[in-house]
Amino acid sequence: MAETKEKSLSDEKPKPRVRPIVRLGIFLISHSFLVSVVCCTAGVLALFLLPVLAKNTYISENALMPGSASPMLSNQHVSDGNRLVKDLTNPNSKSSETGIESHKIIAQYMLDLGAEVSFHKFHPQMNQFHPLHFFSSPVSGKIQENYSCSSYGINTVGIIRAPRGDGKEAIVLVTPYNALKSGFGEALSLGIAYSVFSLLTQVTWLAKDIIWLVADSQYGEYAAVAAWLREYQSPKFSSLSTPNAEMCPDVNNLFELKGHSISGSKFSNSFRRAGTMAAALVLKVRDQNEQFEDTISIYAEASNGQMPNLDLINVVNYLAVHRQGLRVNVEKLWPLLNSSWLKSLGEIFESLAKVAKSLYPKWKFGIPATEYVEGTATLASSLYYQALGVPTGPHGAFRDYQVDAITLEISPKFSLDKVWRNDILLRGGRLIEGVIRSVNNLLEKFHQSFFLYLLTSPSKFVSVGVYMIAFALLIAPLPMVAASLYVDANSSSNYSKGDSSTPSAITDTDEHGIAIRSWRWLNSAKLVFIVHLWGAIVSLLPYFISQIPDCSPTTSFMIWVLLSILSLLTSNSVLASPLACAKATQEKEWALVKSVTISSVFIGLGLMSVINFATAEIGALLMVPMCLLARPLKLDVRAGTLRSFCRLICNLVLGHIAFPPAAFFLLKGMLDGFGNANVGDFWMWVESLWAWNSATYLFIGMVQLPCWVLCVSILFHTC
Amino acid sequence: MEKVKKKIGSFSFWNWVTASIIFRLILIYFPKNLNLSSRPEVSTPLTSFRRLAEGYWLKQSFMSPYAGSMYHGSPLLLSLLGPLTINRIEGQPNHLLYSLVSVIADVVSAMLIRATGQNLRLAYLRSLESLDLVKQIEVSGDIAALIYLCNPFTIVACVGLSTSPIENMAVILCLYGACSRLIPLAAFGWVIATHLSLYPAILIIPVIFLLGCGPDSPPRKLFLQRHQQKEVLNQSKLPPRFSWGPVIHFAFWAFLWSVYVLVLCGISLKQFGGLWEMFKSTYGFILTVEDLSPNIGVLWYFFAEVFEFFRNFFLIVFHVNILFMILPLAIRLRHRPCYLAFVYVAICSMLKSYPSVGDSALYLGLLGWFVNELADMQFSLFLFCGYVGVSLLSPVMHNLWIWRGTGNANFYFATAMVYACLQIVLVVEGVSAMLNHDRKLRNLITGKPQDAKS
Repeated sequence: MAETKEKSLSDEKPKPRVRPIVRLGIFLISHSFLVSVVCCTAGVLALFLLPVLAKNTYISENALMPGSASPMLSNQHVSDGNRLVKDLTNPNSKSSETGIESHKIIAQYMLDLGAEVSFHKFHPQMNQFHPLHFFSSPVSGKIQENYSCSSYGINTVGIIRAPRGDGKEAIVLVTPYNALKSGFGEALSLGIAYSVFSLLTQVTWLAKDIIWLVADSQYGEYAAVAAWLREYQSPKFSSLSTPNAEMCPDVNNLFELKGHSISGSKFSNSFRRAGTMAAALVLKVRDQNEQFEDTISIYAEASNGQMPNLDLINVVNYLAVHRQGLRVNVEKLWPLLNSSWLKSLGEIFESLAKVAKSLYPKWKFGIPATEYVEGTATLASSLYYQALGVPTGPHGAFRDYQVDAITLEISPKFSLDKVWRNDILLRGGRLIEGVIRSVNNLLEKFHQSFFLYLLTSPSKFVSVGVYMIAFALLIAPLPMVAASLYVDANSSSNYSKGDSSTPSAITDTDEHGIAIRSWRWLNSAKLVFIVHLWGAIVSLLPYFISQIPDCSPTTSFMIWVLLSILSLLTSNSVLASPLACAKATQEKEWALVKSVTISSVFIGLGLMSVINFATAEIGALLMVPMCLLARPLKLDVRAGTLRSFCRLICNLVLGHIAFPPAAFFLLKGMLDGFGNANVGDFWMWVESLWAWNSATYLFIGMVQLPCWVLCVSILFHTC
Repeated sequence: MEKVKKKIGSFSFWNWVTASIIFRLILIYFPKNLNLSSRPEVSTPLTSFRRLAEGYWLKQSFMSPYAGSMYHGSPLLLSLLGPLTINRIEGQPNHLLYSLVSVIADVVSAMLIRATGQNLRLAYLRSLESLDLVKQIEVSGDIAALIYLCNPFTIVACVGLSTSPIENMAVILCLYGACSRLIPLAAFGWVIATHLSLYPAILIIPVIFLLGCGPDSPPRKLFLQRHQQKEVLNQSKLPPRFSWGPVIHFAFWAFLWSVYVLVLCGISLKQFGGLWEMFKSTYGFILTVEDLSPNIGVLWYFFAEVFEFFRNFFLIVFHVNILFMILPLAIRLRHRPCYLAFVYVAICSMLKSYPSVGDSALYLGLLGWFVNELADMQFSLFLFCGYVGVSLLSPVMHNLWIWRGTGNANFYFATAMVYACLQIVLVVEGVSAMLNHDRKLRNLITGKPQDAKS
């Protein structure tokens, strides 16, 4: 397209017929400014329209049949659960300093029900920096460290074998429990799980094994679950040299249990397994609550913005709302709820919908303004947590093994009487029972419903087909502007050449000119490549900085910044200069640099939208305007018109905002207030990102930062 | 990696060669972290080194190496490379020896490309001289060699333990031999390349042209026109006519080498079903597309979808596709046999049943020979960005499909289709740029204004 246009311009002869698609391309390229303004506005608008476009969830998998059977959980089971809660909260059981007593109690209770019980001992594994983790399987390359016997955790695992199953599938129920300082909520969650567990040992319909994992959360809930999963999915046949938890002396105390237990035959020292996991539920009960009704919060985001299958959330939502009368919550971004501009935007959409409806009664797309605000707040938090790429609970560990999992957090209205406790045990238990019964019906693994979606409320979602439109509109101008800049830069160099008369002379200048013209972008591509290489180096630096002992976040951040600047200068002087001077600075050089930069940003954003949509969307909101507007300040100053002045201001503002730390502090300030912003915060945030192997970290280091550097270099280009 | 092109003047060739070798050696020391040898982009059923190890093991335990449909390569490779699969050096990464062999193969290929490029450049200069067009032209041999060595595709194929560096070396050997008129060498390269991966068989046409009328030059017609203008017909300045002598010589050597190779194969497979077994599980395996595991080509998806009773029909259609393009291209580009070879290699790597990035590495390297002619190529930036984008997107889509379970086969196949389209655009634009170049030369000679066509 590019060259064709230029040729058609330089022709004196009647134009050759151009194919329609080429003509369309030429049209778009020549109106790239208008097109990009329209597309970007439409993209942002479409993003704000998403809560309006959200659809109601529905259960896609027919086999699930939630709520078709009446719950079987009776008061008998509830009183069983109550007994366990009492025993656990009994001060006697807490006397032991390692909390082994409570584990023994739980194990004894499980054994009494006839379940298979085993303990799983693990060392909390520190999160390590695996830059390539995303591309490899979750199990590969875990390095064993030296462990000490002083820190280990114990997971208690109970397994019920399904009477109707073949033992090839299992459903996991997880209750995090910290034996050392457990609150009443944790005991209550164990009580709920126990009452369900005691029911499930008796039922005949069970077709999948049930695994109840009491995860020792003294080193964090996620670590415990992840350690158990790692052992479950990839057994380690470790050599004897690595110190093992089994060797520690006081772990062996656990096995005294065997001596004074009745049904000791079901207890085993070794790691017990059931089939592949169909789904996992993490159950928590919150200790204090300021709300006036029983609510249940669903957390679903796993690492890198992966979500469980929507059907799992649907089942929980359906059963909680329509059977147990619980209110279902998903996370919201609270500051947005009170923002007046969002409210007025919602009102505008509402009135527009009213107008549309009055014009044609079948157009029904409006939602009330309050609902819109709530939907936007939920959507924003959905985007935020997906973009972070850090799992929001222990369920994240399951997603790494392709198991759909969610965390349910029950927050009861708080009172201490026994009736209330029984009530919450009964309703929570019935909810869990219903979900397990539903999942039990599943024939294959979850596959019917969506994996890629954003929630705008527990019962509304935006699917990938809708939100991708907003993103596509936002980044659509990038290739167009890149092409138009490329064409401009090439044609200007074409015009500047003089004509010669003799054939040989023509050949000479022409040949040289062509060689420059067609491959001139290589010079800019080299610059862009070097800056991206520098981005990779910058992303690797924190790994080395974190090795420095006793370094406060602020100092680390300063070291990082210094090293980054140093490496930028070095790479610039070593790699760039000998090549840059080979080709004298040409006019419109900046246009080519901008064109290649935009192309690379387009590739980066497209790539990220596949890996983690939310990151790409937020990144696009920051980077696309900056890339499109970037233009040497000198030119704008020289022009001196109102338009160029506006562009100058925009460029300066965007140049500040799009710098990753600046964007971070701005966002943080908007959410928490600017009062307690600290330079070290950014370091902590980055550290948490790479500790969780978030792809967002790589995105910031290798797409956004280089893009910012290139744009700034365009702004200060001397032309 | 076309970046390197312009910088050749200021950076010494050998610095870049050393840098690329050192880079490979560094990568070889992290085989676990990169895990390249299990990537579908790098190791296909034909080029996988793990399969070769399996075949060697089978053979060592007195079973047919083709048992169990694991190995599908040549029995000669088993004898040559097989011992490298079990020899380990203590404390070094596994398969270090084979990695070193493939690094050497890459360097040898690069040197051969360089020598051929210099040949081509001389021939080009000579023909321009006889047309009285004086030009400065780039040192295309160095550029091509550096493109081949620094191309990430080549590096990945080399470090990822695949046999494609060796297959590529055979193809380049064939072209080098034909360009420098070492007929036995050319025949050897052709026979080995065909034996290893079948598709290079069609390179016999460019090789015949190369031997018959010498390396690339502008169309013969131009020379005649030029001399008619000057009205002196100087026979010595004309390119030679097609001569059958070297071609027959080549055919003889090709026959000799193929008999030799077949005898060797027959000896090594004597107890395991003989040559027929070999043909069935190498060429048969290539032609019938038995293995439908995903790769960067488009055939696996298609044959996974197609109904069983149409399978044979479509197999024929897909393979005839390649054959259909041979003749028109041969007629149009007969004066530029090396360019013809490049086009054939590109088309094969697009339509072959188990393509890998090693094949792309080969034709991108050969593309470097023609920097002077293709200086005017369109869409260069678009193609470059496309290649970068696809090679990054493809692993991500694979991860989404296989590991995360949130995508499906269509995601990965989409990148394969984009990749195929890019290759088509490259070939189409390349050929049209070459034809434009010829046209431009003609206009220069006849004195017409040059902007008439595009």
